[in-house]
Amino acid sequence: MPLNGNHMSIQSQTILILVVMCAAYALAKRRKLSVETSILAAAVGGGLAGAVMRIPPLADLPRHLIEGGFTYFDVILVFTTATIFMAVVSASGGVNYVVRGTIRLFFNLRLIALLVLMIIILIPGALTGAGSVSLLVVGAPTALALGYLGIPKKRVAAILFLVAGLSAAAPPVNIWAMIVSAGTAIPYVGFELPLGIPVLLLSTFSVLFLGWKRTEKKALAEVLEEMPEPPPGMSGWRVALPFVVFFGLVMMYRIWPFATPILGLAMQFVIAAVAAWLVSPVRINILILSRDTVKRLLPLLTTMVVVGMLQQIMTATGVRGLISFLVISIPVVILFISLAVIIPVSEGLLTYGGAAIIGIPLIWFLDSIGLHATVVIAGLSLLWPLGDGLPPTALIGRLSVLVTEYTGSYWSFLRTTWIPWLVITIVGILMVVFSAKLDFLVRWSM
Amino acid sequence: MAAIIGLLTVWGGLQLHRHRMYKMPIVAGPGVTRVVRLSDYSPGLKKTPGDTNVFFLEGKEKGGTVLVIGNTHSNEPASLLTSLILIENMTVEKGTVIVIPQFNYSGGRNTRPGDGYPLYFHIPTSWGEKKFRMGNRDASPLDQWPDPDVYIHYPDRQLLSFLDVRNTNRTWPGRPNGPLMERVTYGAMQIMRTEGVDLAVDIHGAETMFPVTNCIVAPEKSIRLATMVSLTVKAKEGFDSHVEPSPSGFRGLSHREIGDHSDTLPFLLEAPIPFLDQPTGPKTEKLLLDGKDPFLLKLAAKQKLFVPYDEEGWPMSKRVGQHCSVLLELMRQYSRKNPDRAIQVTNVPAYAEVIQNGVGFYYHDPTEADKRNVHYN
Repeated sequence: MPLNGNHMSIQSQTILILVVMCAAYALAKRRKLSVETSILAAAVGGGLAGAVMRIPPLADLPRHLIEGGFTYFDVILVFTTATIFMAVVSASGGVNYVVRGTIRLFFNLRLIALLVLMIIILIPGALTGAGSVSLLVVGAPTALALGYLGIPKKRVAAILFLVAGLSAAAPPVNIWAMIVSAGTAIPYVGFELPLGIPVLLLSTFSVLFLGWKRTEKKALAEVLEEMPEPPPGMSGWRVALPFVVFFGLVMMYRIWPFATPILGLAMQFVIAAVAAWLVSPVRINILILSRDTVKRLLPLLTTMVVVGMLQQIMTATGVRGLISFLVISIPVVILFISLAVIIPVSEGLLTYGGAAIIGIPLIWFLDSIGLHATVVIAGLSLLWPLGDGLPPTALIGRLSVLVTEYTGSYWSFLRTTWIPWLVITIVGILMVVFSAKLDFLVRWSM
Repeated sequence: MAAIIGLLTVWGGLQLHRHRMYKMPIVAGPGVTRVVRLSDYSPGLKKTPGDTNVFFLEGKEKGGTVLVIGNTHSNEPASLLTSLILIENMTVEKGTVIVIPQFNYSGGRNTRPGDGYPLYFHIPTSWGEKKFRMGNRDASPLDQWPDPDVYIHYPDRQLLSFLDVRNTNRTWPGRPNGPLMERVTYGAMQIMRTEGVDLAVDIHGAETMFPVTNCIVAPEKSIRLATMVSLTVKAKEGFDSHVEPSPSGFRGLSHREIGDHSDTLPFLLEAPIPFLDQPTGPKTEKLLLDGKDPFLLKLAAKQKLFVPYDEEGWPMSKRVGQHCSVLLELMRQYSRKNPDRAIQVTNVPAYAEVIQNGVGFYYHDPTEADKRNVHYN
């Protein structure tokens, strides 16, 4: 049969499968099932619809679901171990100690306090390429410190979400840029200034815009009175040591990469957690603490598993290809405007998978019309973290709410971010459109 | 409910387990003089899943030496199929041809979570279907794990994606005691150094939307020969395989590091593989083999592809045929310029023959072959 003859049928098949996926998701939500179960329903529904047309055959469906469930296995391990590490630090009284110290030093120097806290959030994400690591490692203490500076929890969560997201885009490690660079054969070099300058400016804007206004005015003594006392015996070195161990292990590989064994982030967090446990002035039952932490993380981990399944089924059935095709087919001017939606939504749906599915063909196309690929990747890298606040995954958004202990609705938190969100979007798109004129940033980085 | 989920998990898990354990027979043809292991050149690979078979095809007359590398990326199967045509059919009159059909052996046993690949593909032959594992671009994390948070290339210290630590086209030139995939590339470098390899040909496939596709990638030292080959195959055989310069700032790639770290002239061959493009329909075995996709056809009409694309797609025979012809022409052109290091081979089909006969025509039935000549990969 000629290809044109098949064309309508394949297109119709994939559209039909997409409709079934959406219907299965909607039906599950209507029956008040959780987000995770609804995503699973969409994956299974899409798979069964595809199986009718043997894309994939029914016998292969369990394998696709199992295999897809492992797509983000590494991320799951890092999340789990990093959260256990911070739980140990917190249980030892370290978090209270740090927050108390920060407030005592900078309470009356608001600008410096905000900028110092911003840098503290930026560093772990910039080093590891994961905003989640920023939140898991320093999210809880910085959230408390921001709270004691008189910023309401909703705004604190918004600050954490935006800055942690931008930290993942910051150099030296930007996983979106690395995935796209690897897929497009563009060297991962020259990104320092195109990424570093906008990340610093946008983080500063976000922190000051959301955090400058003090809603509660209290005296330092009053605030210190309210804060929980750290346990007796807690000291600066006891708090610092586990972090020194973690960052020491990260930096050791950077400084002596060919003499240092590769441990991986998960093991580095485990070692740091053991260090925190050993130097804790209070007795911690690490097994019970780990069990409770994993229980708390379970919805987030489940989301990662089922999103991987959905991604696999979408690819096997051609739905992912259809979406990628529609994006690439948009006329250039409309494409530039739609980046504001396409990039964050792809991240919200597929996390890093979005960079591969949308980012790689997009870069090939934009490069072919004369844009500067490195600056374009840097511009898109500012938009991807925004998607980490969007469902179904909403990884950074949910973690921000979790570490801040904000109990209001998720959407009310997300609405708080809208002005910095808009500014970040405009900067990202302008970098893409004027990438050829900004190529000096790449030259100066090299 | 739990029982059903458990049953389906076992069912799916067993399919993945069988894929990892499946052994593919290769029938060594009359030209194969010896089969060694990559660990003979890189002892750090001994008894690891990175070790793999290396086939030597030595001529009666001394001459030059060519190293052919297949399955650097195990999800680009035209490279494996081309390597097998050489091993099962080629005879060498002068010089030596060394073939590593499954360079990233671990990648060939890996799948690609999230990307929905079929587990196997089948090539029709006169004696039935020959079954191949569909692998992944990177080595399996079961064999090399954990990944670092960022991969630092040896020896240039360039930062690469963490995934590239398992990508044998980013770990060149490798180290004897580095991560497993660095030990793999180090083994190949040692072959080149100790066997005096003149030409190294790393066979790949690339997306139709990727600018570096349907081409020969060559560094400065190889570019003259690559250009001659490109012009000749275009004139003689009527297909395009243009030359792309190897970027000097992008480290870890075979076409860059082999040239920089040995006397060998490296070449990387790319033929289009529509299956790997993102905007395609279902990822089926059919798409993998015939390369026909309606979405790509539409994008071709909008001039968004980097290769000509019509209703015929890019069938496997065309891709394998191109690789065979470019390889033959590389040897021919090099031999013409370096008669003392000439490499003369016979029984390798050219582009038109592979298209006419199909790829499976060149594979032999392992059940009929002498057991001593059947090697499992």
